[in-house]
This record gives sequence, structure tokens and C-alpha cells, in this order.
Amino acid sequence: MFFHIVLERNMQLHPRHFGRDLRDKLVAKLMKDVEGTCSGRHGFIVAITGIESVGKGLIRDGTGFVTFPVKYQCVVFRPFKGEILEAVVTMVNKMGFFAEAGPVQIFVSNHLIPDDMEFQSGDMPNYTTSDGSVKIQKESEVRLKIIGTRVDATEIFCIGTIKDDFLGVISDPGATS
Amino acid sequence: MDSAAESLSLMRAMSLADSPVHSSSSDDFAAFLDADLDTISDASADSEEVAVEEESILKRVKRRKLELPDGVINPESSSSQGEPKEDLGESSPKKNTCPHPGVYAGMCMRCGQKMDDESGVAFGYIHKNLRLANDEVVRLRDKDLKNLLRDRKLYLVLDLDHTLLNSSRLADITVEEGYLNGQRDALPDNLKSSLFKLNWMQMMTKLRPFVHAFLKEASNLFEMYIYTMGERPYALEMAKLLDPGDIYFNSRIIAQGDCTQRHQKGLDVVLGQESAVVILDDTEAVWGKHKENLILMERYHFFASSCKHFGFNCKSLSELKSDESETEGALATVLKILQRIHSLFFDEGREDDLEDRDVRQVLKTVRKEVLKDCKVVFSRVLPTNFPAEHHTLWKMAEQLGATCSIELDPSVTHVVSTNAGTDKSRWAVQEKKHLVHPRWIEASNYMWRKQPEENFPVSQPKNK
Repeated sequence: MFFHIVLERNMQLHPRHFGRDLRDKLVAKLMKDVEGTCSGRHGFIVAITGIESVGKGLIRDGTGFVTFPVKYQCVVFRPFKGEILEAVVTMVNKMGFFAEAGPVQIFVSNHLIPDDMEFQSGDMPNYTTSDGSVKIQKESEVRLKIIGTRVDATEIFCIGTIKDDFLGVISDPGATS
Repeated sequence: MDSAAESLSLMRAMSLADSPVHSSSSDDFAAFLDADLDTISDASADSEEVAVEEESILKRVKRRKLELPDGVINPESSSSQGEPKEDLGESSPKKNTCPHPGVYAGMCMRCGQKMDDESGVAFGYIHKNLRLANDEVVRLRDKDLKNLLRDRKLYLVLDLDHTLLNSSRLADITVEEGYLNGQRDALPDNLKSSLFKLNWMQMMTKLRPFVHAFLKEASNLFEMYIYTMGERPYALEMAKLLDPGDIYFNSRIIAQGDCTQRHQKGLDVVLGQESAVVILDDTEAVWGKHKENLILMERYHFFASSCKHFGFNCKSLSELKSDESETEGALATVLKILQRIHSLFFDEGREDDLEDRDVRQVLKTVRKEVLKDCKVVFSRVLPTNFPAEHHTLWKMAEQLGATCSIELDPSVTHVVSTNAGTDKSRWAVQEKKHLVHPRWIEASNYMWRKQPEENFPVSQPKNK
């Protein structure tokens, strides 16, 4: 789920940047450091939308670096257990399929795919129902439910399921209609 | 416990107007909610609150910063299942009955529970965070075999270097091979489509003749894997050259890092039953446990560096400006063998079920036909103090269907010798039996066909 929240970070700035463009340099460094990172608490920081405030700089003892506490608004994405998401399938194999919802990688194992869907190998590996009416292959969009999440420094991993009501394929890239 | 509204307030609470309670792990959901409900409709950044909370925030920020370098996995995040009331509903079984078939990124792929143990087998080539429990591997292998047999296919594991292609570092290209570096248009036709220069890897690669046709035909009969002792980036690059459409191998590319044992290749990382796997490799030693599934390929030496590496003093194919024959070469031969094995395996006339058949038996049978009806005696080939039956050539000849013997008798058909002056050799000539060099056996092994004996004469001894 996406959130628009205010976060704070202590930015360290080298004295060479002091001058007229101090604030801009601070903001640029903040964006470079923070956008695209992950944390367990907030999830994936997608984009910084604005700077709320920049606090007073504190010179650190021993080095000339100055620490500014910066409050900034940003859009974050964090998946939760139990959340329903739409994702795009990126890889299908005999163990299940991998899907991506933004920066999050979700794995749906074949244990959590409805029993009537069988794996078909071939040029385009896919999961299909016995009557061929529903097919999950690369680039299909699916609605899935998250049942577990894990975050590391740069990525978020999730386990998902489509074995519940109203979950499964939303659109099939191969469909004619 | 997991509705969107509560999650929303959870997030808002986390952002600013937090009380120190929230700095603890978000696993403590109950305390979290309590604090949340206390600080009522908080969310929006209230500047007064901010001023008050600033100190505690700074403390928390510092703590957070300390936690991050601690390790890759952020401990407070992990899997959000610290909630006390746990009922995942019908979609997945309760954690205490879940068999935990496998682990993805540290979570059970069926119930989501955090699992950090190293049991089972890692399938890093499919996805870097994937591990499967042994039971699950067995179950998948069974299921997959049924599917594959229904499609009338078997498994084929292919080695890269010297089997399907030959690579050389750009630094090792000799002067005589320099013409390979020239403009693509100046190259002879057969090289235009099979020679590739990979500057970013400082390498040049030559695909073996007939390889594209081989792959196309084999893909109708087999589900194919690449299994190389090279590193993953190399393996992926080679796969792109061999399989530009990504239809043959599609996430079945196993590299050195996926081996469970050092310097040994194993079928444990292949999701296929051993009774249905055929391996094509130029090196026997790496397949210690699976020699019965192996078809040994003659090594492809195109570049001079390859010849030198194996200690051959002759000129390489590139220096001779020549190449292996497309229609008579190793790949064409082995394709016929594979087709033979496939048709024998799926032979309608057999009574047993497809699942009970074993491709290793078929391999043995086909091999035994090569030199059947031959009786072989060795002369000046086997070391005297060595039990003859253990010698490689003896075993090779027996695998090919020949009977081996130490003594001469009228039923002997071939005498294998390196010296035409020995008693046994002279006996062979006298009795009009075949006198052949040991390479006759090896060639028959590679070509899966009895070679013409006249091509392997034994040299006369030099007179002192």
C-alpha cells in the first residue's frame, strides 16, 4: 500500500558544499541517498515530494561535517500481510510464479495456486485450468494476497497466494477481447 | 488485524507523532495499537507536537541508523506475523500443520512463516532466494516427470565448454588466429554466424557446428538444461548466443555457484527424476555420481588456447582455418543417438509403465550394441601389474558390448595393440584377425558406432 508520510533524516554535509547552494545541495544529497531505499518500518521510499523543514546544523566534533536534521515528505510503498495487491507476472516455472508490484517481488508457490490450474511447460510456460479458460503466463496481471513479507536493504520480498475468492488473473495478455 | 484502515493509522503513527513505544519492533502490534488509539486522530504533522517529540525522534532516528548497518535483513521488519490472533483463513493452512515445502527469501512459501534454516536444496538459478525442502523436491520431480512423459519428453543436461562451444580469452588469441579479430564481413561464411566477440568479457566464442539444428531437434524430444562449471554471467551470455529466443533453456541455466559440492556436478539441483535424465558432457570426472546418465562428448577445440590447455601440440581448427564437419561432426552423431534413445524409451511395444522405465538402462543397451560380437584381447596396452578388468579401455570395451579376454583363442576377433611386433599382434595378422590401435575403441565410444578397423592401424616397431 502507498503512503504519503513525513520522515526525518540526519544529513551529513561536507564543508565544501557550504555556500549559496547549501540547501539545494542538501536536498539533492537527500534524494540521492534516500529514494529507492527500503526500510522495515516504512517500506520502499518511492519518491520525495517535498521538504518540510531543515533544522539547525550541528558541527560534529573531530570532523568538519555538519549534521542537519531534515524533515521531508515522501511517498512510500509497504506491503502488508493480508493486503490484496495487483501485480504483473514476470516468471512462471514449475514451482510457482514470480510477480512484481512496483519495487516488490512476490512469489506465489504452486501450493497456493488453485488445484485446478496445471503447469504447462513450453515456449511460454504457464498455469492453465483444465478447460483452458484461465491462463497465467508472463505479463499477465493477477490479483493476489500477501501472506508474508521480508525486507532487506534494497528490496522487499513477499509470499502471496491466489487460492482465495476473487483472486487470480485480471487480464491475460494473450486474450483476444 | 490486517485491515487497510488499521494499517493506515499504523503508518501515520509511525511517521511522526510517535511515542517511544513505537520505537520497538513493529512485531509488537498490540502495544502499537494501544499507543495509536491513545494519540487519537494524530496523523497530520502538528508543529507543536513536533517540537516536543523532536528529541525522542532524534533518539529513534539514531537508533534506526545504528540498526541499519547491522546486517542486510532489517530485524524489526521481517514478516509481519507477530500478530497474536493468527488465522490465515482457508487460503493457507495453520502454521503448525504446514509442511514448509520451501523457503523464499526466508519465508515459508506456503504459510509465510519466517524460516532461516539451511535445510533442503538451494535453487539459486531459478531465483536467488529460493530453497526447497527435500520432500518437496521429490514431489515436484514426480509431478514433473508425469507431465513430461505425457508430452513424450525426457530431460537433457548440456555442458557448455568444449561440448556446445569453445571460448577463448582475447588475450590468448595467437598470431595465426588474428584473422578472427577482423571485420565480420571478411570472415568466411561458416564463421559469420557462429563466431562471437564479447568485448565486455574479453572473450571470443565459437559455437560448435550444427549446434542450432541440434538444439532445435533436441528440444522436441527433451526438456533441456545448461549445466556449466563457468560462472553465472558467462553462462547467461552463452545462453543468449545459443538460445536468443529464450525458448530452450528459460531459467534452467545452472552455473558453478549452484553446485552443492565443489568441483562436482550433481543432478540434485535438476528438477527431474534421475531415471529420465541424459547428460551430455565432455568431462566424465565431474559427474562422479551420475556416470550412468552420461554420454561423453568428444571435446571441441577450435581455439589454440584450448588445444594448449589440454596439452595438444597440434594446430587448432582456427589456425588451420578449418572446422568440424557439420553433418558428420559430434553433435550430428550424438543427435542420432539421442533420437534412438528417445524412441527406445517410448517404445510402444514395451509392457512396463513409462514411469518405471529408466533411461540409464536404455543407454546401456544402446552402448552394448556398438561392439557386440567382438572379442578383444589387449597386447602391450595394459600395465602388467594391474588387474586387467579395472583398466579404462577394458571397461570401455565391455560397456560397448565387447567381450574382453587376456588369452588368445580362436574366437578372438580383435587384437588391440600399440606395437605390431608383439606375439599377439603377429598372431592376429597370421590368423587374419583385426589388429587395431587402442584409439579404435575410444573412437567407437565417441561415435557410438564400430569404427572401420583399417582406420586404426598399428605401427610397425622400429628396428634397432
